Amino acid sequence: MNLQRVCRPLADLRLTLFSLGLLMVLVAICTVAQVRMGVFEAVDRYMRGFFVWWHPAALPFPIPVFPGGATAGLLLLLNLLASFVVRLRLVKEQAGLWLIHAGLVGFVAAEFSTGMFAVETLMQISEGQTRNYTESRERIELAIVDPSDAETVSVTAIPASRLRAGRSVSPPGLPFHLITRGYFENAAIAERTTEAPMAVNLATAGTGATRSIFPQEAFGGDQKAQNSPAAFVEVLEGDKSHGVWLLSAMVADPEIVEVAGAKYALSLRHERHYLPFWLTLRDFRHDVYPGTEIPKNFSSLVRLSDPPAGEDRDVLIYMNNPLRYGGKAFYQSGYQGDATTILQVVDNPGWLIPYVAFCVVGAGMLVQFLGHFFGFVPVARGGREADA
Amino acid sequence: MKKWIPWIAMGLAAAYALAGLGRPKYGTDLDWVGVGELPVLQGGRLKPLDTVARNTLLTFRGKQTLRSEEGTTSALEWLLRALADPGRADKDKVFVIHDPDVLGLLGFQVKDKYFSFDDMGPHLERIRDQAERASKIESKQRTRFQGAVLNLHERLMTYQMLRHTVQDPASESFPSDIRAFVGKLGPGREALRASGGKPRAEDPAIAALADSFTRFQLMAQAGYFRFLPPLAGEGKDDWRNMGEGLLVSLSSGEIHPLAGRYAAMMEAFRKGDKGAFAAELAAIREYLGAHHAGVLRQMGHEFTFNHAGPFYRGIVLYVMAFLLVCFSWLRWSDVLGKAAYRVLLVAFVVHTLGLVARVVLQGRPPVTNLYSSAVFVGWAAVLMAVVIEALFRRGFATAAAAVTGFVTLIIAHHLASTGDTMEMMRAVLDSNFWLGTHVVTITIGYSATFLAGGLAHIYILRGVFSRSFSAEAAKSVAQMVYGVVCFSLLFTFVGTVLGGIWADQSWGRFWGWDPKENGALLIVLWDAIALHARSGNHVGEKGFMVMAVFGNIITAISWFGVNMLGIGLHSYGFMDAALFWLVTFILSQWAVMFIGSLPDRKWKSPVGAAA
Repeated sequence: MNLQRVCRPLADLRLTLFSLGLLMVLVAICTVAQVRMGVFEAVDRYMRGFFVWWHPAALPFPIPVFPGGATAGLLLLLNLLASFVVRLRLVKEQAGLWLIHAGLVGFVAAEFSTGMFAVETLMQISEGQTRNYTESRERIELAIVDPSDAETVSVTAIPASRLRAGRSVSPPGLPFHLITRGYFENAAIAERTTEAPMAVNLATAGTGATRSIFPQEAFGGDQKAQNSPAAFVEVLEGDKSHGVWLLSAMVADPEIVEVAGAKYALSLRHERHYLPFWLTLRDFRHDVYPGTEIPKNFSSLVRLSDPPAGEDRDVLIYMNNPLRYGGKAFYQSGYQGDATTILQVVDNPGWLIPYVAFCVVGAGMLVQFLGHFFGFVPVARGGREADA
Repeated sequence: MKKWIPWIAMGLAAAYALAGLGRPKYGTDLDWVGVGELPVLQGGRLKPLDTVARNTLLTFRGKQTLRSEEGTTSALEWLLRALADPGRADKDKVFVIHDPDVLGLLGFQVKDKYFSFDDMGPHLERIRDQAERASKIESKQRTRFQGAVLNLHERLMTYQMLRHTVQDPASESFPSDIRAFVGKLGPGREALRASGGKPRAEDPAIAALADSFTRFQLMAQAGYFRFLPPLAGEGKDDWRNMGEGLLVSLSSGEIHPLAGRYAAMMEAFRKGDKGAFAAELAAIREYLGAHHAGVLRQMGHEFTFNHAGPFYRGIVLYVMAFLLVCFSWLRWSDVLGKAAYRVLLVAFVVHTLGLVARVVLQGRPPVTNLYSSAVFVGWAAVLMAVVIEALFRRGFATAAAAVTGFVTLIIAHHLASTGDTMEMMRAVLDSNFWLGTHVVTITIGYSATFLAGGLAHIYILRGVFSRSFSAEAAKSVAQMVYGVVCFSLLFTFVGTVLGGIWADQSWGRFWGWDPKENGALLIVLWDAIALHARSGNHVGEKGFMVMAVFGNIITAISWFGVNMLGIGLHSYGFMDAALFWLVTFILSQWAVMFIGSLPDRKWKSPVGAAA
C-alpha cells in the first residue's frame, strides 16, 4: 500500500509527457550544438550529465542552467517503474504493454551503461606489424620505459592531466622525479631559433636542446585528436638535475635519460591500453568503384594470437563485420595509405543490452498486435481509464 | 452517363500513363534509341549513354532538354554533339548560372541565365582562379559565391572532358589518326623491342609513336566515361575510354575492335553522313550483342525507364486525382470521389512500377539516397492511404495521398538535379541487408507521419473553413490519424533500433547521437508524446490533430534538416534551395497548427466537441 502511495505521483502521465518533451528539447539542442562543438562534446554537455552547466566569466564556478539528458532519462525510468506498480496490472490483456515498456527500460539503461563504462580507442597497424595495445584518440600520457630487464619491459605512464607547469610527479619505483616546466596542448616543432618571438626554448638536454616549439591554438570538440601536445620536463635525481627535456607527440623516438646508471626512455604519446593478446596485420585491402574515388570496400586480414588461451588464427575484419574478442570489438574504421589499417576498438560491457531490450519490446509488440488481431486484447488505448 | 465518369477518368489516366511507352521522338531521324542504349561505364557503374546525357545536361542546365530558338533538343542529341562536334556544341547555351556574383564576375547581364561554352571562353582563366581560391576553403565555410564559382568550374571541366572522351578535339579527322597510328604501331613496337628497354628518342619509328602516346595519354586522363568494353580474358570492370583503349594497344599490339568504329561514327555524325552513321552504329551494336548481350539488354531496360519517366507522369496523375477530390467536395461527391480514387490507383500503379524498375535496375533495396527516399516516402504514404480509403471510403485519404504523392515526387524531381540518382554506395552504406531493413522501415515511418499530418490538415481546414464537415466524418478522420500515428511510432521505433544495431555492427556504437539518429529519435519521442497525451485524455480530438501536424515539422527536419547541418555520418550534402523550401514548409505547418488551435466558436463545423 505504502509503495502505491509513493509511486502514484511518480507514475503520473503528465510526468511522462514532461520528460519526453524535455528529452526532445535536449536532443534538438544537442544536434544543433554538434555543428559548433562536435559530437563528443555536445553529447557530454547536453546528454550525459544530470545538468547542463554554464560558466559565466564573472563566477568562479559553473552553475546548472537546465536539466541534462541524464535527468530526463532518470525521470523516465522512475516514471516507467512507478507506472508498473500503479497502473499496469498483471493481467493477460496488458502483457504486451508490460513487455514493451520493460524493454524501453533496457534502452535507457544501455545508454547509461555506455556513458559510464564504454571506452573507444584506436589501433593503427601497418602490414607486417604486430600490436598488443590500442591508443586513445585524444588522451595523452608521458611514458617512461625501463628497459633494464630484458625479459619484460616495464612501463610507467603519467596522464597528461598531471603535467601542469610547475607540478612535480614522482613515479613509483623509479630513482627520479619530474617537474613540468611547460605544457602545450598544441605546438609545432622546428629547428631551434632565438629570433622568432613565438618560439619557446626551455630544453637543455636531448634533441630538444637544438629545437624550438611554437605553441598554437588548440583544437576543440571532435578535432581534439589533431592536437600535437608538447611538454618540457625536468628530470631530478633528488636535488640533482639531469636537464630539461622536450617531449612531443610529433616525435616518434623517445628521449633516453640516464639516471643512476640505468637508461630510461621518455616519450609523450597517445594513451596506450595494453591487451593480453596480439594482432598482426597480414593484408589490408582497399577497393574503389571502377573509375571513381568512391570506396567500395575495405578489409583487414589479421592474425590473432593469444597463447594462454590457445588461440592462433586469421580473422578478416571488414565493413559491418567486426572481430569480437576478449570483451572488445575491433571494427574496420579507416586507413592510411595502402598498407596501414585503422581499427576502432570498443570496450562496452553493456553492448548486448539493446539487443535484449529490442527482443523484449519486439515480443511485446507481437503480443499486443496479435492480441488485437485475435481479439483477446480489447482495442484499448493504453492506460486511459486508469489515469483519467 | 454519370456513372461512367469514374471509369472514363481511370481510362484517360491509364492512357496517359501508357503513352510513356511509345517510341521516343527526336529532332533528327537517326537511330537515337540505338545510340542511347550504348553502354558506358561512368561514376562506378554501367549505364546507357542516354542516362549520361540526361544527368550531365541536368547538372549543367538544370533541365533534361535543351531549348533554343531552333526548338527543343534532347539531352542525347546534345551529348553527341559535345562528343563529336565541339565546334557546334560550344555554341549551345547549356550552362545555367543563377548566382548574381558569378554573373558579375563574368560581366554578364543579370537577365540572362543560360550561356554557351563560347560565351565563357574569354573568362575561363578568371573562373579557374576563383575556383582555385574557393577549393582551398572547407566546403562548410564557403560563401554562396565560392560554392557557385566552384560548381561552374566543375561543369566546365566536365564539358572539356566530354570533348576528349571519344576523340581528340584538335584532330582534323580522328579515324584517319587511328589508321595512321595502326600503321606506326608495328614498326614502333619492333623498334622498342630491339632497343632492349633503352629506347632512343631519335629512332624515327619510336618518335612517331611517342607523339601519339602523348596525345592518347591526355585523352585517357581527360575522358569522362568509358565505352570500349573489356576484351576476352579481361575483368568485367575493365572498360576504357578512347585514350586508354589506344594506350593499351601500345603493349598489346592490337587495336580495340570498337575504337575505330566509335571514331568513325562520331565523324559521320559531325559530317551529317546518315548512312555511314547507321552502318557504324549497327556494327557496334552487333559486336556488343555478340560479346556483351546481357549488358546491352540491361541498357535497353534503363533507356526505356528513362524515356517512360514514370515519376513525372505520376506527378501529373496525382494532381488530377487531387483536383477530382476537391471538386467532389463541391458537387457530385459520390461520382467524383470514385473517379479521384481510381485515378489515384492508376497514379499509384505508375509510381510502383517506377519504384520496382529502379530496384531491379540498381539491384538494391528501394532507398539508397535522398532522392530515392523521397520517391519511397511518397509511395509508402500513398499505399497506406489507398488501404485506408478502401476501408473508409470517404475521400479524405485520397486527398491526403494525392498531395503527399505529388509533393514527394516534386521533391525527388528537384533532388535529381545533383547527378546520377543510381549512384554507387559508399563502403559503410554498402549493405543490402541493412538498406533493406533499417532504411526501408524508417522511411515507412516518415511516410506514416506525413500521412497522419496530411489527414490532420483536412480535419483542421475543413473543420474551420467549411460547414459541410460532419462530426461523424471528423471522428472517422481522427480515428485514421490515431491509427496512422500508432503505425508511425511502430515503424520509426523499429527502424531506429535497427539503425542502432547496424551502427553497432559497423562502428561499435549502438547509439552515437548522430544527427540523423537524433532526427529519427525526435519522431519516436513526438509520436510517443502525442499518443500518451491522447490516451491519457490530456488533449482532445482537435488537439491531437494539431499535434499530428507538428509531426510533419519534426519529420521534415529529421529527413532534410539534418542534411543541412552538413555534419554527421549520414549526411548527403548541402542544399541551399532546399533550405528555403524547408523553412517555408515549416512556417506553413505552424500556420495550420495555429488555425487548428482556434477556439471552438471559430470553427464553422461543430466537430471534436465531445472528445
